[in-house]
Formats: sequence, C-alpha cells, structure tokens
Amino acid sequence: MSSLAAMLKAPGAMVECDDDPEAVFDFLCARGWSDGLPVIPPTPERVERMLAYCDRDFGETVARIPPRYGAATPIRVAANAVMAGCRPEYFPLVLLALEAMAEGPYNLYGTQATTHPCTPMLIFNGPVAAEVGINSGHNAMGNYFRANAAIGRAVRLALVNIGAAIPGTGDMATAGTPAKFTFCVAENEAASPWEPLHVERGFPREASAVTVIAAEGPHNVNDHESLSPEGILTMIAGTMAITGSNNAYYAGQPVLAFGPEHAATAASGGMTKAQVKQWLYDHATLPLSKFSSEGIERRFRRKLADQFGNAPLDTPVHMWAKPDDLIVIVTGGAGKHSQYVPTFGNTRSVTRVLKRADGELVMSIQDLKRG
Amino acid sequence: MAQLTKRGLIAAVVCSDSFMKLGSAQAKVFGVPDLPLLRIQHPLGGLAMEKVRERAAVALPQLVKVVKEKQS
Repeated sequence: MSSLAAMLKAPGAMVECDDDPEAVFDFLCARGWSDGLPVIPPTPERVERMLAYCDRDFGETVARIPPRYGAATPIRVAANAVMAGCRPEYFPLVLLALEAMAEGPYNLYGTQATTHPCTPMLIFNGPVAAEVGINSGHNAMGNYFRANAAIGRAVRLALVNIGAAIPGTGDMATAGTPAKFTFCVAENEAASPWEPLHVERGFPREASAVTVIAAEGPHNVNDHESLSPEGILTMIAGTMAITGSNNAYYAGQPVLAFGPEHAATAASGGMTKAQVKQWLYDHATLPLSKFSSEGIERRFRRKLADQFGNAPLDTPVHMWAKPDDLIVIVTGGAGKHSQYVPTFGNTRSVTRVLKRADGELVMSIQDLKRG
Repeated sequence: MAQLTKRGLIAAVVCSDSFMKLGSAQAKVFGVPDLPLLRIQHPLGGLAMEKVRERAAVALPQLVKVVKEKQS
C-alpha cells in the first residue's frame, strides 16, 4: 500500500492558497478545477478521510480518463470526491462508476469530446445504493439528495480535472446539458414489477452495481389518463419518436425510466420487461417522410442504404437499433410521470458490480472500511 | 495518425478551426506534439459537396507543404 504521506510529498501533489472559503473557490476556479459551483477544499486530512472505505492501493491506476488519459488513482479521485461533497461511504461508488466508464464499449473518449450533450448517467442497483442514501423515490433525478448530487458531481469533476474535459478544448459539446453537473439515480427496485436492471444483466440480486450510459438530460412523459398497458405505452412511444435523436441513427441504448405508477399500469396485463421493450421498439417509430429531404438523402439513402436505400417514404424508422437496446428501469415516487433519456449513439452501457479487493461481492459498504 | 508518425511515416490531421485546440492537445497526449494539423474552416459536417471540395482545396496545399518539409 502506497503511503499517503509519501504521495503527498510528490512534486505537484500539493498546492497552497489562502484558507478562506471564497479564496479557495476563486483559486480553484482560476485553475479550472471546478464545475463552477463552490467546492469543499481537498485538504490532505479530508482526502485521507475520504479514503476510509477504499481497499485499493491509493496510487493504483484504476482508469485512464481521456482526452488527457490522466491516471485516475484513488487519491486523485478522492480529492475530487471531497470537492464534490461526498461522504467517505460514497467513494467506492464513485470509483466503481469511473472503472465502468473506462471499459471499451462505453467509448469514454468519444463521450467526453463529442459535440453531443451527453454525460454519464449513473444507475445504481442493489443494497449499497440504499445504504448510502441514493434516492430512488420522489425527485430521483432532481436536487436535494446528497448522495445523488455528490456522487454524480464527483464523477464529473474527475472527468474534468483528471481527464481534461474542458469546454472548447477537451469537451466539445455544442451546448452541453444541465445533467453535466450530476446525473445519478438508483432504481426503485421495491416499486418495480420487473427484475432490477443488474439482475436482468445476469448479476445476483444481492449484488450492488452501477450501470453507466452516456445520456442526455431526461424528457418527461406525462400521462394521467391511460389505464391500460397499451395506453401508457402508446404515450411513451409517442414521446420517444423524435427526429433529432442520436438513437435514431446510431447503435445507442436509450433509457426509459418508468415512474412506479406507469410501470404498474404497463405490467398490469402481465407484460414482461422484454415484451415492453419489443412493444416500444415496434411503436416508437416515425415514417421516413418526417425527416428533412436532406436528411433522407444524406443519412438514410446513403449511410443507411442497406435499410433505406430505396425505401418508400412511409417506411417506419425505429428509434433504436434492436428491441433489447432499450434500457428499462423504474425510479421515482408517486405520480403519473416517466422519463425518457436519449443517449449518445456511439456508446454502450456498462454494468459493473461492487466487489472487495479479494473479489467477493460487497454486501454492505462497511465491508470496505479500512482498519 | 500518432501511430503512423511514430512509425516514421508522414502523417497529418485535417482539423476544422473550432477543433484546433482539441487536435493540438491530443497530439501532445499521444506523444507527437509536432503532428501537423491541416486547418480548414468549421464546419465540415453537414456540408454540400461543393463546400467539402472548398475545404479540400484549402487543406491540400498545407498537406503538400508538410510532405515537402518532411522529405527535405
């Protein structure tokens, strides 16, 4: 295990500034080490406390973050977690999300540097999410809850400070998205009529996992009237069918986050999650004629010639490539709303399970407490 | 292009002016800070073929210059 004290003595590891909170904030903003919101100063004492639940070597490179390909080590990530306002118990989940994003299919370079407004959507499943307080009820995608706010923010700060996703230089997003401050939710497993996302992907129910996907901000689906599965799914499919989505052109995986009441209605006739995905794939379509004439010619006739080379204008365009590409979760509290989350096209979601250094599943965050 | 440069081949990257900073930063990251960037006007995406040819006409002399310099 690397000595924290020795690591902090390395050239460039420490900087000094006035300890007044406003002076610290000014200093960090001037260096480009913030997201524009105030941060907790990452003093050595705070960074050390942040590592209380880290059973990894503090100097181990757990991920390389493009476009700089900076080394995400626990000590560096911990500094960002302090700045974001994390509790030490959150830290293993921040590290887990970064490890997942560094897996090839996620395409971290592309999602960091693209002009598209994508950001990591973190979907947590399993007991640790509830244990550390990640909200899956009312306002699950909104403000107020520290774990949701700080875990997502810590990931974003690491992307900027370690990976150099700096607007105009390493992050070329045309306009970006407010979700770039944080986008972290837990699935409301208790309110779901279907298997949780991590179970659907082959992991044990008792495992704790994160699924990462490069997502846009969510778009609401309001439906207070439908009483049948077909009714609610018709409303959702209509919200999904849009011309400007990357998912209509590339092999991306959009997310449908059912509100619990909509999920109950959708499942009331016995439809499985796979059947819901198939139904929505079949019905979330637009006729080719809805796209611009230039788009039809340049995108569909040429680039997608196998499917649309000579297709009539009433040919349905599906909103994602294969039925199972739709990611379906349940989150939120009471109310007749669901969320549709389009994603960056050239990316695949990655699910990663929280394990101890010896490879055993983490059943409680206390399993990782040092000493 | 970084790999080609490291293998001793002459390589360059066409880069629209809005992406010059990213291109320059990436060249440094990949260990080829002197990788030539052939600057064209942004955008490149969504252009009619006539405009694409205009961009190519701007890039080509830059490419020829790079090749001549590297060969000399």
